[in-house]
Amino acid sequence: MEDSIKSEVNRREVYRYLGLGRHEPDERTALLVEESLVELENAAAPRFFSRSYPLSVLPDGKLDLTCFRVESRDLSRNLKDCEEVILFAATLGTGPDLLVRRYSRLEMSRAVVVQAAAAAMIEAWCDRKNGELKEEALRQGKYLRPRFSPGYGDFSLDCQKDIIRALEAEKTVGVTLTDSLLMTPSKSVTAVIGAGRNEFRCELKGCEVCGKTDCLYRRG
Amino acid sequence: MAILEELREKILLFDGGTGSLLQEAGLKPGELPETWNISHPDIVVKLHSDYLEAGCDIIKTNTFGANRFKYNSGTQYSLKEIVTAAMDNAKCAVKKAGRGYIALDIGPTGKLLKPMGQLDFEEAVSVFREVAETGAEQGADLILIETMSDTYELKAAVLAAKEISSLPVFATVIFDEKGKMLTGGTPQTAIALLEGLGVDAVGMNCGLGPVQMKPLAAEFIKYASVPVIVNPNAGLPRSEGGRTVYDIGPDEFEQAMEEILDMGISVAGGCCGTTPGHIRRLNRLRAGRRQKLPQEKQSTVITSYAAAVEIGDDPVIIGERINPTGKSKFKQALRDHDLEFILREGISQQERGAHVLDVNVGLPEIDEPSMMAEVIRELQGITELPLQIDTSNTEAMARAMRVYNGKPLLNSVNGKQEVMDAVFPLVKRYGAVVVALTLDESGIPETADGRIAIAEKIYREAAKYGIGKKDILIDALCMTISSDRLGALTTLETVKRVRQEMGGRTILGVSNISFGLPVRENINANFFTLALYNGLNAAIINPGSEAMMCSYHSFRALAALDENCGSYIEAYKNAAASSAAGSGSPAPGTSGNRLGSDTAGRKAEAAPGSGNGRGNNPAWDGEEERLALSVEKGLREQAAQSAKQLLAEKEPLDVINTCMIPALDHVGKGFEAGTVFLPQLLMSAEAAKAAFDVIKEKMAESGQAREKKGKIILATVKGDIHDIGKNIVRVLLENYSYDVLDLGKDVAPEQIVREAVKQHVPLVGLSALMTTTVPAMKETIQRLRQEAPWTKIMVGGAVLTPEYAKTIGADTYCSDAMASVSYAQKIIA
Repeated sequence: MEDSIKSEVNRREVYRYLGLGRHEPDERTALLVEESLVELENAAAPRFFSRSYPLSVLPDGKLDLTCFRVESRDLSRNLKDCEEVILFAATLGTGPDLLVRRYSRLEMSRAVVVQAAAAAMIEAWCDRKNGELKEEALRQGKYLRPRFSPGYGDFSLDCQKDIIRALEAEKTVGVTLTDSLLMTPSKSVTAVIGAGRNEFRCELKGCEVCGKTDCLYRRG
Repeated sequence: MAILEELREKILLFDGGTGSLLQEAGLKPGELPETWNISHPDIVVKLHSDYLEAGCDIIKTNTFGANRFKYNSGTQYSLKEIVTAAMDNAKCAVKKAGRGYIALDIGPTGKLLKPMGQLDFEEAVSVFREVAETGAEQGADLILIETMSDTYELKAAVLAAKEISSLPVFATVIFDEKGKMLTGGTPQTAIALLEGLGVDAVGMNCGLGPVQMKPLAAEFIKYASVPVIVNPNAGLPRSEGGRTVYDIGPDEFEQAMEEILDMGISVAGGCCGTTPGHIRRLNRLRAGRRQKLPQEKQSTVITSYAAAVEIGDDPVIIGERINPTGKSKFKQALRDHDLEFILREGISQQERGAHVLDVNVGLPEIDEPSMMAEVIRELQGITELPLQIDTSNTEAMARAMRVYNGKPLLNSVNGKQEVMDAVFPLVKRYGAVVVALTLDESGIPETADGRIAIAEKIYREAAKYGIGKKDILIDALCMTISSDRLGALTTLETVKRVRQEMGGRTILGVSNISFGLPVRENINANFFTLALYNGLNAAIINPGSEAMMCSYHSFRALAALDENCGSYIEAYKNAAASSAAGSGSPAPGTSGNRLGSDTAGRKAEAAPGSGNGRGNNPAWDGEEERLALSVEKGLREQAAQSAKQLLAEKEPLDVINTCMIPALDHVGKGFEAGTVFLPQLLMSAEAAKAAFDVIKEKMAESGQAREKKGKIILATVKGDIHDIGKNIVRVLLENYSYDVLDLGKDVAPEQIVREAVKQHVPLVGLSALMTTTVPAMKETIQRLRQEAPWTKIMVGGAVLTPEYAKTIGADTYCSDAMASVSYAQKIIA
């Protein structure tokens, strides 16, 4: 069994998703968040899978990730000097979706809190797995770049298809795509992580690496 | 010899991996493996031949991903061409070898079913049917449904396979390292579902290597009555230079599989990464082994998509509250199509300790089959408890059992020939456990002898359909003791004899015993204990009744069913604490009802006192202020109570206008000003709704109704399945007494337009979360402009901005839920 993820969930992120910005939550909201995290931990079935691929840059500037090719300025910048990429898929399973569905019908205030807490929980799960990959890479003398997901900057959402296919995500983690490229279960993440021999200092991830500065949910 | 006969004689072998070998032969990443049936038939035939030569008995056609989503009239090859070519290749290999069975291989569709995803259950059935039909026409010996991670999709595939042919059906599912399917199912839940549906062999494949499958194989042996299949991967995958490699070679595979075969596995083979080399070893292993078919298991099991409930010596509580009989509010909810009311009854019984929920929605003036199917679908979307489908309408039975995600409990059949003729075929087809009432054409026998005779008759008749005793629960029926003094004794004797003499299982609707008597709970709870003592396996009761739950918990402790009295202590530890503190307040026997309770997430909140200076209207008296503050603070119970008190002296409309509306406005303004946040806004809305419900009831008493301001359609657009934002908007608009028609998520433009025209609505609200679904929003707006030009359109969602909203033609962009309320107030005065 994996250790509890609940304790690793960044509460500030939950509050941010709930629209609190930098405000402190009132006591009841804070309590609702904690209750939701307990419930989510019981309902979630976290899964994770990754595979690494050689990376090269083609003459036309496209990135060749071996299992697919892509043109993206932002991703190229992220993967600069990398010789390898790790494709990454993580999910909390279908349980959190059921809770959101249940409370959307019966208790909307709880539904939004569960939804926000689940969003922060999948991040925490990704961070944990990302950390493990980082340590493993270090042992081989490699340094990892911040993870980068389709939809960040100009990294096309279409690449979801390639990543899902390369990772056989349906079998390995149970993640599938809808026609409009939404992942099911909804609390799932795919990403690309570059690995290179050069030390990488910048530890930015998530919002900060994204060029879409007008995004409503951008970390403030 | 037909495969099922040969299976009885010897251990049969499947082949190994297909995809991994095709990749070695040059299949490129992204290339669809099934196209090789046509582009490289020689390689596919050789692959089959190599496996047959290695000793396998059953080859899987190269059709794992063959379905209409990948192959259709718009693709290079049609589905029929692909499946036919795959069958030809398999037949060619079998002909060359002079032996071998062909399994038409059916994998998952790659799409998740509703409500988790977008694929409709019946569409999934038809997708699978299409493949199965071609395979059967082309002479497959059996249908193998494999790598299924969702029980609902699995059920769709099995129904499809069964409905198009009488070929044997084998089914294997995929587990993660924790032994769970994606949707939470275990070997036991999969087995119950599959055996119920009449599958000939069950098991698992893919996902894990043979070492990890060992404990799961033991589970399969423990629960399965039909032969068990184990098709593991060659260990766990790892990537090496961009290639996927598996870490178990033939030697290790043989070692691990030897132990698994010794457990009593009847069919073995391989999945990803396994090769003819692996299968050759399996062939060597089975050479010295006799086939050991599993024993028929006698346990009675029903399931949901994830949970299995065994109805045996440890009694099972079936919540009775989803039933309109004698409940005017429930009847009204059915007439109003108020599903929330019904769902709430379900979840609150779950929180109070029900193991199964009875679902009865029969009312003369409603379309029961449709309502039953809808309620089943909705309930199984929000609860993991198995459901009992309670109806005498056979069409409702059939439709509900079909859409049910699991092995259902059906209530009921009885000893009347006509009823048995109608119900047993359905029970067989959908694999249910059925409740059998001990009554027949001559009514309910007065004696236990008479009821036993009917039970015997029912067992006999069921056996003709292949329905065993374990799938029948005998209901000995309770006659009220107020009219039949021996009523209880007759029932108890019947229960005891069904258990002891017939080896059957029993169920009772307990409450009827006290009909016509005062303080019925006294009689019910004591009768319940007696029934449990006489061997009752399942009781249909109200889990909200403390006395009944007390009987249940006490009986389990007394009957040595509760290890160290753990559950009893858990249920009553708070009661002990509070009585020690001398509070004298009775504590609930189970966890209390959390839904709608002010203590949910609200423990930190003190009840609002009057005169704390926060009231925003000096004209309020004490109780008015209390109500307003309860709404503002989101205290539901408090708000309902205050409303009730106020209504004793004030007119409902006064309460709404002088108290409720100002309180809601106050919270709304706070939200806009950034001093109140979304969770608080919604808690307020819920408290207001609790108060409005009380007001509504009061108005209904005097024939009034709260005036609705106008109809608003809400929908999440086609392709989008994230609808939480839209749901928030609905809750708020309803509180402002708009009549909201919520069309749900993933709604096609034509449906939105149709409803907008039909209802002539002044306002439509659309939501979209993804850039990929905004085009669907744009299309919806364009069509609304053409066909419903009077309608105003507001839009919202994470990717939208005011400018973006303008370019796709919306009237306004709403940045949050209150903004939609403000806009609605502007449009609909």
